[in-house]
Amino acid sequence: MKLILSDRPLNLELPENGEIRHVDLSTLQIANCVGCFGCWTKTPGRCVIRDDAVRVYPLIAESDTVVYVSRIKYGGYDTIMKRMLERAIPIQQAFIRIHRGETHHLQRAVTPKHATIIAYGAIEQEERSIFERLVARNGYNMNFIDHRILYVAESEVEKNVKDLIETWKKS
Amino acid sequence: MEKILILNGSPRATRSNSKRYAKLFSRHCPQETDYREIRKNNHAELRAGMEHHADLLLVFPLYADALPVGLLNFLKFLETTPPDHRPVVSVLVNCGFLEPQQCEVVVRMLRLFCQRNGYPFGSVLMVGGGEAILDSPFRFLVNRKIKHFAKSIAARQYGTWQTTMPIGKRLFVLASTQYWLQYGKRFGISKRQMQTPVIEGPDSE
Repeated sequence: MKLILSDRPLNLELPENGEIRHVDLSTLQIANCVGCFGCWTKTPGRCVIRDDAVRVYPLIAESDTVVYVSRIKYGGYDTIMKRMLERAIPIQQAFIRIHRGETHHLQRAVTPKHATIIAYGAIEQEERSIFERLVARNGYNMNFIDHRILYVAESEVEKNVKDLIETWKKS
Repeated sequence: MEKILILNGSPRATRSNSKRYAKLFSRHCPQETDYREIRKNNHAELRAGMEHHADLLLVFPLYADALPVGLLNFLKFLETTPPDHRPVVSVLVNCGFLEPQQCEVVVRMLRLFCQRNGYPFGSVLMVGGGEAILDSPFRFLVNRKIKHFAKSIAARQYGTWQTTMPIGKRLFVLASTQYWLQYGKRFGISKRQMQTPVIEGPDSE
């Protein structure tokens, strides 16, 4: 499955077979992670906050391809996407492994994935440099096989996502 | 001597390790400190408090390799409604991984925020193994570094430090496994249960 997570509405025409899913996070009720470690130690694999996030992180885990569409702030994901990524920690275990020479969390049943990040907002050079480092770091913790970042103008976001979908349909 | 404002940006502020780091900082700091926790609804109050402090210390955990979203939102609030007086911003960040270098990205984010918004940037302390180190025999290492860090801010001779448990990665993996097993035990959860590959099981709502 291919998953498009966006922090804004996108007018997309998706195939009906469910192979490509789009979740507009801006329409969902998702609270901040409270850092209780419940998803690791009390109800492993399940967040104790039963809001819309619990429908999203299983999709992230299941997908072999993810597209994150987000505004960038201070070289990181802005609030809507960041909040969801924080709430996705039930897909990891508390336990630590050595991965690519560093200590990182073990994953649950998380499909290795190809990631495309469509980043928008006024992004200057230093901010891009920070963001590229961040996404590389995220890749270690989110089971990315590879990733690429597309910096686009806000007005071009939807077009870029549509182009990506067309590429998938043709392949 | 002006006081230092400590803001705890941890999502579990009242029960957080960041609070413990903040307490150690206050204990070792030659200057007086004021401690506050960042919440959704107290941003304006915290900004008002910043007017009376020459230095601001942000204490928080690394969260998905970056700023916890509550702290991010507070920074965005400061950007839209800045204080008249901008204190020097120092950073004490801890991560659960052994390598304190995993905090470097978030420090760069905060430097960028400071550059963009006219805040002088101060000292940095990055703590690896930050979830458990305070309850380990290596607590003294954190104490020592926090002492240097606090003195640097008080003396306005800013610098960057890092510390972690002085053990190999394999031993860290073993030690952290024990730590989390004890954590799960408090709730009657076994290792096998904690290792479940299942995400949102069939009985999920």
